[in-house]
Amino acid sequence: MAKQKIEHDENCLLEVHDVTMKFTKYDVGVDSLKELVVRAFRGDLRREKFVCLKNVSFKVHKGEAVAVIGRNGVGKSTLLKIVSGILRPTSGWAKCYGRISPLLQLGAGFDGNATGIENIYLNAAIMGYTKKEIDAKIPEILEFAELGDFIYSPVKTYSSGMMARLGFSIAINMDAEIMLIDEILAVGDVAFSKKCYAKLTELRQKGLTFLIVSHGSAVKDLCDRAIWIERGRVVADGDAKSIFDRYTDAMIHPEKANG
Amino acid sequence: MKRESKLRKIGQQGYLLTLLVRRNIKNQYYRSFIGVLWTVLNPLLNMLVMAFVFSKLFGGDTDLDYPIYILSGNIIFNIMRTSTSGSLPCLVHQRNMLQKTRVSIALFPTSNVLSSLVTFSFSFIALLVVALVRFFSGHYVFQWTILLVVLLIPAVTLFSLGISYFLSALYVFFRDIEHIYSVVLTLWTYLTPLFYTIDRLNSDLVTKVMKFNPMFHYVEFFRDLLLGTIPGGTELLICYGFALGSFAVGYAFMRAVRNHIAANL
Repeated sequence: MAKQKIEHDENCLLEVHDVTMKFTKYDVGVDSLKELVVRAFRGDLRREKFVCLKNVSFKVHKGEAVAVIGRNGVGKSTLLKIVSGILRPTSGWAKCYGRISPLLQLGAGFDGNATGIENIYLNAAIMGYTKKEIDAKIPEILEFAELGDFIYSPVKTYSSGMMARLGFSIAINMDAEIMLIDEILAVGDVAFSKKCYAKLTELRQKGLTFLIVSHGSAVKDLCDRAIWIERGRVVADGDAKSIFDRYTDAMIHPEKANG
Repeated sequence: MKRESKLRKIGQQGYLLTLLVRRNIKNQYYRSFIGVLWTVLNPLLNMLVMAFVFSKLFGGDTDLDYPIYILSGNIIFNIMRTSTSGSLPCLVHQRNMLQKTRVSIALFPTSNVLSSLVTFSFSFIALLVVALVRFFSGHYVFQWTILLVVLLIPAVTLFSLGISYFLSALYVFFRDIEHIYSVVLTLWTYLTPLFYTIDRLNSDLVTKVMKFNPMFHYVEFFRDLLLGTIPGGTELLICYGFALGSFAVGYAFMRAVRNHIAANL
């Protein structure tokens, strides 16, 4: 990690600097001790490095809504995981100058036997909030989730839509400065989906910063900037509308993109 | 300002830890009728079975009353057993959470160890009940030194924490550990004088080897307290030596591999 002093400008909330991420890909998954020992003896421990992201750099400023687009498997989700601090990049660094609310999967870490309320506390505590802060947010979360009395039932009795509602309500109602969202907006029924977008737009007007991974064109309206990633590199970074158009064009006519 | 946010962070992590511990305990007794009462009943019933089975074999030559001898050994050993075997798969079971949210991984094994301490305190009540019964039947005399158990518990906890950190992190990379450890644990159970006394084995070699079994020291320390003898300072040093050693190794290992865990889950 670079140790030199980085001058940090006030408006920058998130900085990704020269991030490269490599995964070790064994030819056959070495997942057991025997496998490793046998291979080590045969000198067959070929570790194929698979480069997922290469020299990705960008800055996100306060109040921006950035969409990260690209084909499946180009490293968008990995990028979000690096930004949120779950994965550490092979080289380069990512820094956040504010509180992040990672929404990588709704209801990640819900405990099936616990009730909705208990899960709100657990989930928010995992995200780094104190009991007091959660207590204050409970009414808003409950109101937004619209789960009624089900909130007192174990989460394992919920449908996946209800689970998503709960997860989304928790993440969206906590006072984060940056929201990282990974293709999760396509959940729930139409009414709820609409409500989510309305809420996101409202938060956006309040000056919240977004980093969204998505394919949906609905995001196009929400974001003002887009970063297009192709084969682990940033190909384009700029105005959302034009990049979305170019991206859609490239998806439909792949032969043109190579030119 | 900076100090305040640090305090807040510690408080927050503590709060999260209590939530996790509560969840562990709850899930352990989920849907059972008498719930948490099992934590008291379980060691009691086990003790009855063991006292019934082994009293003819080994009983008679212990300084302590035999049922108390068995129960005391087992509840100390169980702190280590339940916390380590519970911690081993805990990171892998939380895969979903660890891959999607940023949370300190050490919290999960720690919460397992703390849950087994909660279980221990209930088992301790069971022990007191048995001691009371044996007291009235004239087999046991209460000693004040029993209170010194507070000196022993931190050592056992640190020792278990170290193993738990190590195993839970290693299990992410090598799933074989689960099977290896279950055999190791069985061996360890029989190599620790829980049912038998070490004199009974009557072998110099065993006595020598036993010195390297940390659980032996913890168990014997506890029994000494129950008997009313205060173990010497060296004994306490040995207990904490093992504890700190285990904790240092486990913690160092977890720190070393921590950045690779999310990618390997």
